[in-house]
Amino acid sequence: MTTEYQPELQATAKDLDEAKRVLAAGADAVFVGNQQFGNRIAGDFSIAMIEEITQFAHELDKKVYVMVNAIYHNEHLQTLPDYLIAINDMQVDGIVAGDQSIYQLLQDLDVSLPLIWNPATLSTNYQTLRFWSARGLRRAALSNELRLDASIEIKQHLDRAVDIQVHGMTCIFQSKRKLVKNYYDHIDRPYDPEIERYIREDKKSETHYPIFEDSNGTHIMSTEDLMMIDYLDEILAGKIDGLKIEGLLKSTDYNEQIVKIYREAIDAYLDDPAVYQMKKAGYRQAIYQIQPDARKLNTGFYFKEQIY
Amino acid sequence: MQKLKQKPELLAPAGNLEKLKFAIHYGADAVYIGGKQFGLRSNAGNFTFEEMAEGVAFAKQYNAKVYVATNIIAHNENLAGAADYFKKLYEIGISAVIAADPALIQACKEAAPDLEVHISTQASIANWKTAEFWKNEGSPRVVLAREVSVAEIREMKEKVDIEIEAFIHGAMCISYSGRCVLSNHMTSRDANRGGCAQSCRWKYDLFENGVETDTEVSEEAEELYTMSSQDLSMVEHLPDLIEAGVDSLKIEGRMKSIHYVATVVNVYRTIIDAYFEDPDNYQLKQEWVDEIWKAAQRNLSTAFYYGEPTSKDQLYGKPERLPKYDFAGLVLDYDATTQIATIQQRNNFGVGDDVEFFGPNFHHFKQTITELYDEKGEPLERAKHAMMITKVKVDQPVVYLEMMRKQK
Repeated sequence: MTTEYQPELQATAKDLDEAKRVLAAGADAVFVGNQQFGNRIAGDFSIAMIEEITQFAHELDKKVYVMVNAIYHNEHLQTLPDYLIAINDMQVDGIVAGDQSIYQLLQDLDVSLPLIWNPATLSTNYQTLRFWSARGLRRAALSNELRLDASIEIKQHLDRAVDIQVHGMTCIFQSKRKLVKNYYDHIDRPYDPEIERYIREDKKSETHYPIFEDSNGTHIMSTEDLMMIDYLDEILAGKIDGLKIEGLLKSTDYNEQIVKIYREAIDAYLDDPAVYQMKKAGYRQAIYQIQPDARKLNTGFYFKEQIY
Repeated sequence: MQKLKQKPELLAPAGNLEKLKFAIHYGADAVYIGGKQFGLRSNAGNFTFEEMAEGVAFAKQYNAKVYVATNIIAHNENLAGAADYFKKLYEIGISAVIAADPALIQACKEAAPDLEVHISTQASIANWKTAEFWKNEGSPRVVLAREVSVAEIREMKEKVDIEIEAFIHGAMCISYSGRCVLSNHMTSRDANRGGCAQSCRWKYDLFENGVETDTEVSEEAEELYTMSSQDLSMVEHLPDLIEAGVDSLKIEGRMKSIHYVATVVNVYRTIIDAYFEDPDNYQLKQEWVDEIWKAAQRNLSTAFYYGEPTSKDQLYGKPERLPKYDFAGLVLDYDATTQIATIQQRNNFGVGDDVEFFGPNFHHFKQTITELYDEKGEPLERAKHAMMITKVKVDQPVVYLEMMRKQK
């Protein structure tokens, strides 16, 4: 039996309003989570909020994935099991995790929460992902430092859904240390965590790496925002299952518009690839119109060679 | 005091065959090396199979072990040949591989089931449940993330019966190891396949977003931003890790010099032996701490072992001025009747220089060089040529493979 290819457009959300708006704008799934267990969550969702958005999404026949993608320490393990049971009871559609203990935990708890395996930089080949598939991985979120052809090659060799990021900033660094607060302490200035910050490479004025702290440490994000609107044909021809829009550090208006544009573009391609080709420039133009000045757009590592 | 079963292993880095021999001769119970494939540190010397075999044979004489780091995070195209590679390592007599990528872990298990796989720090193992997961997968040992505390290690050992390897000394990833691609983004060099450009140690401008304009905080403060970390040293606290149950005490640095490896190994060997001699009355000696500083390249910190590091554990501003020492010469022979040592030159030295001899078991003495001759016995003022053989009058007996250092 063959099933029709229906890729999933995935988006993040900082609060209930944004979650509802990106779903209404055409996202098939939304990522939410609690800061205690998740890394780089745009906002903080309580259990009650997750329940509310899950009901909302399910009425629209859409999905909610809960981010529990922190690198766990012993302390997390005291509260994480109850949390997993609670979100399992409200029938969320999956969890996003990146700590290897999740495989043992899900087995111990005997819950069938679908696992989206996203260990950030470590999802780089299909043999590795086959290893995790045999241990419970349901969807594989690939590392952003892969070429697009390598990502598609993984999809061809893996009997599981494969997700890639198509838009927004990517995480390029995580430290457990408070690396911003430490610096403010060092220069003897008060540190206000609410202020948004970025760092710039010495003598490279065009660079703009957002840097922030959350309860799991310090995160540095890419200098550019990914934009793959021009290459949806390759991605969809490659049968990639999930296309993710990262909305971190962006306004709800922006994220809602971006979801709309990608929704329309994906639907256009699936309906008639020629129409997508015709309208592609218009989609790109629409993104440029709302793109913040400080944030350059490019294709990340999808068409780039690395040395080592 | 709890009863201690056995001494933990002292595990040292060995960037090449010569470093391997020094690390073991100076007291390491095991060394880790890199081969030509699947390892990070693509700039370290790295071993051919022949060199590995020689290293294993050398280690056997000391009852020491050799591990091979196969710790890259592989892409699809990097996995060819893995099975043959692991088989070959097993045949050579390698005791374990250190791997982070499950593709390589699995390949090793299938190709060489009796070759131990230790799960690398690149896998960011920071909790007991992950340790339990790897135990159930059949791995005898996990190398912990550098972000765990002594208390957390104790809890892991209480909950899971698996060997724990933990760093005690050396340079640090400021990120969770493996969770950093700064180098990839800033230089197109893949950090997780051996190309790390150490971008975390660069200087950056730091800005606060404003409504109209952004504020360049680093310019106002006249202090550029950086993530750079001090180096780790547990020289003053080693018993805490031993009592927490750490099975293997690991020194970082496959890129480090022979002088560094010999010095650091020597100190920790001495500490471990002193502690086990009489745990209840163990006392740290200042000379051990002083000795560690002779090999230090940055200021030293205990990192996460006693809580979260602060700004005091970071490196801001200009590099600190630490006294630097050169490896001046290697003792090849000693004539007790004439008190003349045969010394192979490793760095320029000469008459009038204050030098220090040191060797395994913390043998140490300082002297000024008064008499120096070339190989034929002709007097010399300075030994200028690399690897030249010299004769030096020494104040105390020395033995083969002791070292002579000199402050820069």
